[in-house]
Amino acid sequence: MSSTHLMDYEPIVGHQTLEELYLLAEGLKGKRVKMVNSTAIGGGVAEILHQLVPLLDELGIQIQWEVIKGGEDFFIVTKSIHNALHGEAAPLTQRMKEIFLEVSQENIKNTDLDQDIIVIHDPQPIVFIEAKDRTHAKWVWRCHIDVSHPVEEAWNFLKGYVEQFDAALFSSPRFSKRLPIPQFLFFPSIDPLSDKNRELEPEFIDQVLDRFQLPRDKPMITQISRFDRLKDPVGVIKAYRMAKHYTDCRLVLAGGGASDDPESELVLNEVRTEAKQDPDIHIIVLPPTSSLDINALQRASTIILQKSIREGFGLTVSEALWKKKPVIGSAVGGIPAQIIPNLTGSLIYSTEGAAYQIRYLLSHPEAAKKLGEYGHEYVKEEFLITRKIRRYLLLFHILFHPGERIIPL
Amino acid sequence: MKVSGGHQNGMGTNPFYFYTSSNLVELTGEKANTLEELVALLKRCTGSAIFYHVFQSYRERHFAIEKYHSDFAQWISNSQDEEVLAERLGSLDVRDFVTLRALRESMIQIIEDHLKAYPQCGKRIGKTPFFFCQSVSVVMPTRDRAGGLEDFYQLIGKIGIRSIHYHLVEARLRLGIHTNDFSHWLGDSLKKERLAQRIEGIDMYLHTLEEIRTMILRYIEEEMNPSCHPPI
Repeated sequence: MSSTHLMDYEPIVGHQTLEELYLLAEGLKGKRVKMVNSTAIGGGVAEILHQLVPLLDELGIQIQWEVIKGGEDFFIVTKSIHNALHGEAAPLTQRMKEIFLEVSQENIKNTDLDQDIIVIHDPQPIVFIEAKDRTHAKWVWRCHIDVSHPVEEAWNFLKGYVEQFDAALFSSPRFSKRLPIPQFLFFPSIDPLSDKNRELEPEFIDQVLDRFQLPRDKPMITQISRFDRLKDPVGVIKAYRMAKHYTDCRLVLAGGGASDDPESELVLNEVRTEAKQDPDIHIIVLPPTSSLDINALQRASTIILQKSIREGFGLTVSEALWKKKPVIGSAVGGIPAQIIPNLTGSLIYSTEGAAYQIRYLLSHPEAAKKLGEYGHEYVKEEFLITRKIRRYLLLFHILFHPGERIIPL
Repeated sequence: MKVSGGHQNGMGTNPFYFYTSSNLVELTGEKANTLEELVALLKRCTGSAIFYHVFQSYRERHFAIEKYHSDFAQWISNSQDEEVLAERLGSLDVRDFVTLRALRESMIQIIEDHLKAYPQCGKRIGKTPFFFCQSVSVVMPTRDRAGGLEDFYQLIGKIGIRSIHYHLVEARLRLGIHTNDFSHWLGDSLKKERLAQRIEGIDMYLHTLEEIRTMILRYIEEEMNPSCHPPI
């Protein structure tokens, strides 16, 4: 579990923000809340809960975190459901549904549901809602993925469960569905004190650049994403080349390793081919635990690109904005929620658009600086973990005042 | 819920109780891709949605002055490239409305007039959809209360941005009065009419909330020490 405390965030968010969290939490002290998800290690949800649970505990919420159990067959089914919800063709046979339900029922039997609030994360534990009538709890479904264009069969299978919850939470309006229950906007968040986001000494950043043999002689344009066609790394190279006709710069493409993903290896080869041994293009394959290196690369960059063709929320954008970097991002997924055009970054719709914005920002460093500063303020307002805590506290109050628009405490 | 007023102290002055509010954004599931869809949804969306998109969401970007404070005007500018319409919507002043119904009707009228003049833009699909949201607000008393002008000055310097927004902006529609909580208390309880009017006169959409805080502090200083701070 995370070892940070709420007071550790005061230098970042200010005393008043924490004061308001304490005020919100006062009326919730002793409330029993259970978070249920499918894994304690690996993946974004586990990472979020590792940060969130201790901080809510510190505010006096009696919080528990339950991880469901299942064999390989269960998780094969849930992976298939996950992919289908993302719109990918994925099998969901009758037998798969049976396995999903059987394992879910077994987990329900072994879980203490005597709580005030139960938050179910993503589809894996969704069948827990069948136990709703056995408890007095309020039930919340936290959907971390984009279900706006699912395979209909998968959605129809889950919809009946979703509609039984007291509320659903989505990361973006784009990701939600029409539902007969209240839906609330819960942006994902970054932890400003984590290795990925905390301040770094200049000497450390220099060491990282030296290790990757990155000179500091010209502006550095960086995209940090796994090597996946949906992140359009080849398009990034094309945009860089168009911009380089007018203004000299260096391109860094840094991303996750390819050892366990055959397609990633193919994409990496495509990228290397496209790079054509340009000495100003640096392709860096990073191992999974590279938070500090990513942090350093982002901080050393002049501009950060996120030229995705499709994207989930794209929280890497917030990571870059937090570091006051001007960000050029595609208008896909959750990126438009983070980049307000001409205020917190540049939204683009094409390779040519990306190239133009690179040229513009490199030739107008004051404008680029302003975008980075406003981006940092916007992340401080909307995408930090303290904001997530505030959202959860508000949600807990709202669950006990259904139908009210203004809740006086 | 008390905003200003409370126990009378020996001076006969009602204290000002500072509140703050936080809101959770609710997704309505409705979205508009075109101006025609936008006006259709404006006619039937809840008042809470109007309130959120005109008065509350810009608070999340309180650190900067955007071209328009209203989400509707921003979308029409950014996504539809209908700058004339965006300007007309963007110039609507919250101080001119005490009911959401009046504001809704004004916005609908402006858009429909534009569509009558330029019918070809009604069905154009924007770069991004407009997602209608609304919010649920939780209002909390803070531990701060001001007995007089000196207290008020000290507390204005330290309260959170949300508290400033709550008393300056959200108060108007909550209380149905054509002013804000600060001006109402300053005029009513402290009889500082001139100060009350100066604060009411702040053009909220051309200043960040921190700039507004600074302006209020300056106005109070000038009120407390008129010889040191000749009025501008």
